[in-house]
Amino acid sequence: MLFLMFSLGTDRYVLDAGEVEAILPLMATKALPGAPRGVVGAINYRGRPVPLIDLNVLTLGRPAAAVLSTRIILVRYPAADGDIHLLGLIAERATETIERAASDFVASGVEAGIPAYLGPVASDARGLIQRVRTERLLPADIRDILFRRAETD
Amino acid sequence: MTGTGADETRLDQPIDACWRRIGVSGDRSCPKLAEHLHCRNCPVHEAAARRLLDRPLPAEYREEWARHYANPETGGSGTGDAEDALQTVVVFRLGDEWLALPTAIFEEIAEPRPIRSLPHRRNKAILGIVNVRGELIVCASLAALIGIDEQGATERSARANGFRRLVVIGHDQGRMAFIVDEVHGILRHRRSELRPVPATIGKTPSAFSIAALPWKDQTVGCLDEARLLAAFDRSLA
Repeated sequence: MLFLMFSLGTDRYVLDAGEVEAILPLMATKALPGAPRGVVGAINYRGRPVPLIDLNVLTLGRPAAAVLSTRIILVRYPAADGDIHLLGLIAERATETIERAASDFVASGVEAGIPAYLGPVASDARGLIQRVRTERLLPADIRDILFRRAETD
Repeated sequence: MTGTGADETRLDQPIDACWRRIGVSGDRSCPKLAEHLHCRNCPVHEAAARRLLDRPLPAEYREEWARHYANPETGGSGTGDAEDALQTVVVFRLGDEWLALPTAIFEEIAEPRPIRSLPHRRNKAILGIVNVRGELIVCASLAALIGIDEQGATERSARANGFRRLVVIGHDQGRMAFIVDEVHGILRHRRSELRPVPATIGKTPSAFSIAALPWKDQTVGCLDEARLLAAFDRSLA
């Protein structure tokens, strides 16, 4: 399987490349006042509004660095009603893909108490890589707010 | 959003161009050369290259990209409208013809390797078997399979033999390998960019060409992968 790697802080995480619609450069966003924490705004992608989430804000509480290697990962996000929405994730160092077998990822041993979006881990020469489960990235209430907002446009 | 302190200090450090001092552009005294053969294979070189991407954004960068993607004409396709969905194809050259197959059926593109012929095979389209990482795959002649002329091809490919690649395509039911003269890479296009096959491309039988895709100043013939694999199965039988 092909995975897209990115960084949160100094650690490396991966997303299943099959979920990724496109990788976009950082771009100017329309702010969404009153949006939940982590939602930094919306972008216009081919005329469609796409909500944008800063993974660093969501997980570490600080915004992603404004450098060229920080990019927007556009993922297909399954909504509760079964529709597929697009969701932009701002991630640092989203510049690399790796080829790993799904079975390389094993339970990290600390499953209780960690956020639901963190999945099993795989190891390589530089340390551990953790899988991120896109579909659990947003708490249900935020997810409903976001896509209701997108749909009523 | 601004750069964090840690990022700025990292950027301040000048890049140590060790490949110019002790690497392949220097005196070749680097002990890592024995392992990696060339600096471009070395993790130090890779890390330095990656640091180029850690530069701050140029002025107007975000605004420019926002304008680019806001415009449906320039921003590429999304999955939104099925009529005009994004498609990707792998573009390769066979003789003088640029051809394309959908990216999803490609399993591997590798260096050419010896083709072991199969005894008692008279079919021109089947060249033999190749060893791809321990797996034996039947190698076909794509030119013979789809019936294009390889004569002019051989003259040109003699010049550019270094670009020849072994391509493995397939699906769950079976796989095939063939040799191409050059692989350009993956091309993203919209369905609406496809043109009907012009009658003048007589060389490629229309049974395999489903569409023509304008690319730079050329035309790429998009092949029908289902028909191709079916034709391959037939020649095996």
